[in-house]
Amino acid sequence: MSVLVFMIPLSLLFLAAAVAAFFWAVDHDQFEDLETPGLLPLDDSPERGLEHE
Amino acid sequence: MTKQHPGCWHCGEPLQAGYVVHARIAGHSRDLCCHGCQAAAEWIEQLGLADYYRLRTQPGLKPLATQDSGCLDDGLWSRPESSRHVVRDLGAGRREVLVLIAGVRCSACVWLIERALGAIPGVVSVQVNASSRRGRIVWRDADTTLPQLLQMLARTGYHAWPLDARGLDDARRSESRDALKRLLVAGFGTMQAMMYATAVYLGSVDSLDASTRELLRWLQFLVAIPVVFYSARPFFAGAARSLRSRQLGMDVPIAFAIAAVCIASLIETLRNSGEVYFDSITMFIFILLASRYLEMRARHHAGELTDALARLTPPYADRCLEDGRLERVALHELRSGNCVHVGEGAIVPADGILLSERCRVDESLFSGESAPVIKRRGDRLVAGSVLEDGPVQLELEHIGADTALGGIVALVDHAQAQRPQLQRAGERATSRFVARVLTLTAFTVVAWCLVDPSRAFPAAVAVLVVSCPCAFALAVSAAITRALATLAQRGVLVVRANAIESLAQATHVVFDKTGTLTQSSLTLADVDTFRGVSISEALQLAASLARHSRHPIARVIAASEPLADGSSARNVTVHAGLGISGLVAGRELRLGRRDFALPSDCVPPPDDDALVLADNGGPIAAFHLREQLRSSALTACDALRTQGMALLIASGDSPSHVGAIAARLRITDWRARMSPAQKLAWLNDLRSGGAHVLAVGDGINDAPVLAGADVAIAMAEGAELAQVSSDIVLSNTRLDAIAPARTIARQTLAIVQQNQQWALFYNLTAMPLAALGLVPPWLAAIGMSVSSLGVILNTMRIGRAPEDRAAPPVSSALPQRMRSA
Repeated sequence: MSVLVFMIPLSLLFLAAAVAAFFWAVDHDQFEDLETPGLLPLDDSPERGLEHE
Repeated sequence: MTKQHPGCWHCGEPLQAGYVVHARIAGHSRDLCCHGCQAAAEWIEQLGLADYYRLRTQPGLKPLATQDSGCLDDGLWSRPESSRHVVRDLGAGRREVLVLIAGVRCSACVWLIERALGAIPGVVSVQVNASSRRGRIVWRDADTTLPQLLQMLARTGYHAWPLDARGLDDARRSESRDALKRLLVAGFGTMQAMMYATAVYLGSVDSLDASTRELLRWLQFLVAIPVVFYSARPFFAGAARSLRSRQLGMDVPIAFAIAAVCIASLIETLRNSGEVYFDSITMFIFILLASRYLEMRARHHAGELTDALARLTPPYADRCLEDGRLERVALHELRSGNCVHVGEGAIVPADGILLSERCRVDESLFSGESAPVIKRRGDRLVAGSVLEDGPVQLELEHIGADTALGGIVALVDHAQAQRPQLQRAGERATSRFVARVLTLTAFTVVAWCLVDPSRAFPAAVAVLVVSCPCAFALAVSAAITRALATLAQRGVLVVRANAIESLAQATHVVFDKTGTLTQSSLTLADVDTFRGVSISEALQLAASLARHSRHPIARVIAASEPLADGSSARNVTVHAGLGISGLVAGRELRLGRRDFALPSDCVPPPDDDALVLADNGGPIAAFHLREQLRSSALTACDALRTQGMALLIASGDSPSHVGAIAARLRITDWRARMSPAQKLAWLNDLRSGGAHVLAVGDGINDAPVLAGADVAIAMAEGAELAQVSSDIVLSNTRLDAIAPARTIARQTLAIVQQNQQWALFYNLTAMPLAALGLVPPWLAAIGMSVSSLGVILNTMRIGRAPEDRAAPPVSSALPQRMRSA
């Protein structure tokens, strides 16, 4: 069972990282619009517009 | 003579016989209904964005003539005192604006707008949200201007209204972000706590040494900390609020249960004896947060009343100065007593008295009457109505919230506040349940203290956990969530979750006529010709006269025939309220009502409602205009009647029009010429007679009715205010989606009831056993999971019943487009 001493802190570390990543994503508009990005790959024309972003 | 056409390539409206314009899109020639659509389609093609037509799932919005849109005024938005309220300065020459965009119907619209605006030099970023119809644009002030951006949107076929800059720090946005974060923390915490708990449960079957067991307990406590102190904070805050106002809200028992179980588990952890329930409590929090999150999403989707008002009145007005010049000012700068100038086709900005001789206004927003009303000097014009001919001057009386339009909004507010709050009833039931559990827990503690004090605490906690209202909470929220998703697939967007219950109980359907049962515009239904004239010849002659009038009927005639060379009319006179006369190709022609066109009345009358074209030798043709019934109206009415619903029509239009439509739909109970207040009164009569009323409408005049009904359905293409005051929005405007939606709603209610009975049965069996101290924690956990699983499996049956197969889900418009191509 001594392996738990390493594995559990490690899993908690991963958990903290996942929560941090998710918070970052929410704060950077990743969940604002869940529909449009799904359509973009269907557009096979060369990239136009939004070059300023 | 209306032929069946596949519809306009851009906006999807039926094409008028004999009047089709063409555009080359992506190498194919496409049929379009008007020059506005042609311009929009060609513009989209020119931008290289024709993929829009491939990606979209809903037809586009028919572009308005630029002078009608009221949003394209460079004069206004370049004035600092007007734009100050809508533009935010981000520093370094960058500006940000929030616009409400009319006509955003699907993700392809978003794609198109972002591409079209992004191509303008100086635009830094564009973000459009399809569900809220808002766009956030950031641009560099040196390279482009706000009017240019609005112009670009209008050319693409979208009308954008800049919203108050305060909306940029959107409260709703932060609320939804907060909720999402809390939900995720609760989800992660629950998973971890369950993982450790499973090890403990398994360990109690196998062997687990005491130190590991203690470690796992502390770990559970550790992962539960953020869930309880961060995720569950809204429950504690809500409980504190309702306790301060001396009420026992839903949050009080929830907060109490969370606190009690947590403290109990913490004490057990510290004592290193008994059982801990961190896994149960975190899951409880997670499920509650999930259902509240879904509720909040639906609420945000409903939009805001203030936005609706912003779209109905123009953002500016032309104020007349003493020296006769006009000064363009923003709406909030107007004062009562000001004299304003309103141009032809413009929207009246505020209520006022007409100073000019006479004019015609379209008040269909208020009355539902499709024909315009004639106003004379001294008559009152109301904000939001559209001036058909002009220009006129008026002296303002009421501004903003004091206008008739503001009054309707207030009426909507009031009716909404009086709406029977079914959801509250559901919350009260759960609240009572929790209160009973707490009482039982108290009894358990007291009883065990008398018998064996050392077992009092574990037994009390077991009662709290085994009765964990998961099954109860899930019984309603899971069923509602499943029903919402199933209905949304069919184009029925439920905005308020309690609408499902009221929809299932509805007994009467009240329809509005114009725009709901019928399409919003008149169409040319039939042409009778006399003396051997061909239909197209007659149309040519009539159209060349009709082009000189802005009367809506004349516009229908004018639009039905493209102008041929050399057929223009001369010496045209418009006879108000009667018709038009003029010289066409050397003949003196009259077009108008029968008694005007044929003063001598030498021929038997063809039809009283018809428009007659005549010369001095007698009638040439009679044009029959008709409101076109929505294609889905008849099947929808039949389906609803089969379900045993009573159908009624309440309309502001004239009795002859309403009667004709009612007869075609076999509806016997109808009322015409009703004001919004009368409609509401009729509705209240019905409701006091025990009826549950479902109202279906689309206009502003329907808004109070929609808000006052037990459940209200609005058409997605209708007025924003109507959508805001309704519970359900038909996104594809198909009336025949209503009957299947009601079937699903009834099924949902039945399943909720089954779920609740199951949860009750489970609790009645498990709680006494737990109170007697007979339920070990692993069994409590299994029991709780099985009861929840049963509820979820049962819920999945919603929308799968055999009777639904008759009405398959509405497929996306994309394949249809492909077929028509």
